[in-house]
Amino acid sequence: MTHLFVQFLIVLAVSIIAGVVGSLLGLGGGIIVIPALTLFLHVDFRIAAGASIVSIIATSSGSAATYVKDRLSNIRVGMFLEILTSIGAVCGAFLAGVVKGSALYVVFALVLLYSLYPMGRKIALELGWRLHPYGKDQAEGIPPDPLAAKLGFSSTYYDPAVKREISYDLHHVPAGAGIMYFAGLASGLLGIGSGVFKVVALDTAMGMPMKASTATSNFMIGVTAAASAGIYFLRGDIDPLIAAPVALGVLAGSLVGTRLLARLAGASIRIIFFAVLAIIAVQMLLRGFNISL
Amino acid sequence: MKKETRETEDDRARAALADEDPARATELMVSVVLRSGVLISAGVIVIGLILLVLRGAGGLGGGIASALAFPHTFASVFSGVARLDPLAVISLGLMLIILTPVSRVAVSIVAFAMERDWRYVAITAVVLAVLIVSFALGKGGS
Repeated sequence: MTHLFVQFLIVLAVSIIAGVVGSLLGLGGGIIVIPALTLFLHVDFRIAAGASIVSIIATSSGSAATYVKDRLSNIRVGMFLEILTSIGAVCGAFLAGVVKGSALYVVFALVLLYSLYPMGRKIALELGWRLHPYGKDQAEGIPPDPLAAKLGFSSTYYDPAVKREISYDLHHVPAGAGIMYFAGLASGLLGIGSGVFKVVALDTAMGMPMKASTATSNFMIGVTAAASAGIYFLRGDIDPLIAAPVALGVLAGSLVGTRLLARLAGASIRIIFFAVLAIIAVQMLLRGFNISL
Repeated sequence: MKKETRETEDDRARAALADEDPARATELMVSVVLRSGVLISAGVIVIGLILLVLRGAGGLGGGIASALAFPHTFASVFSGVARLDPLAVISLGLMLIILTPVSRVAVSIVAFAMERDWRYVAITAVVLAVLIVSFALGKGGS
């Protein structure tokens, strides 16, 4: 019993830290908690993914409740694109059941590195590096996609930062929907929220303002994750003694992280986390190729 | 103090924007379902953990890396909960978390129907169907 209790507390503590770090960096808890469980606590990848997927539903549902109330999440866009993400998630969850564990480590490492790219770019800009501009400004001035008009995607939200209402139309719906399928696939395969891919589809491909993209992505993560979580659960990959502390820990940690965000968002902290996560990504890659240092 | 005034101003602006719209009821319903789903599930998990501590590890052996026999079908979870088996109660809480977005989708169908937005009733029904199929497939695929 004591042995079990100590392990429980360790998983809980690790999950709280993952939740805090995840919300400070805007990455989500899953992508942090999975390496922590697999690399340091030697939990099987699928059990770690199963625990993570449950924690993601809890955190995204909690924050989506607020975003929906504040009108930041675009419910119609979210509902429509959830068709794609949930089908992708079902495919991903089945794929996770058949591919080799080592392959999951490699794919995870690549997704983590990709997720770090925007953060690395931001840090580089803050450090005064000259980078070529990239972004979505090309969407300005193009008339909205007729499909977007038909589906009632245009919306308005109030942005307290600029103290005015922001109205927007959406473009390139088929491209965004295609990316969403792969976002769902990654979510189901790896047990992560894959918010980074969802934001790419909404913000970069479809031209949704960043704040609305983040909130809509958050709104969609819960349903996407539920589509694969059912499969993980019934397959026996959601171990209650790991998933319970992970879910409660990441949830509590992300609540703390959101409150810390305003005070601790300095560049130096992000540089440290960035470096740590880059090292973790490399470690996951090495683990996937069975190389130990 | 100053910050507080600004926040009320923001809230008022948000409310003014929202009141004009019949879709507001949908948003509020969705928001309530999500928040209460998370609170209820977390509560059930905590009850399960308390039971685990009270009852002791009993038949529980092994550690984190070892495979424990835990319930992972609807039937075994429910029969375990009836016996107040700690692991079954925790699993019920985890199951409720998974069902939270599913009920959010189901509530959205009703809400869109109340708005008479039949296109979105259909779109949301497709999402619900995918979720239900995923549970059916998951059962067969284990």
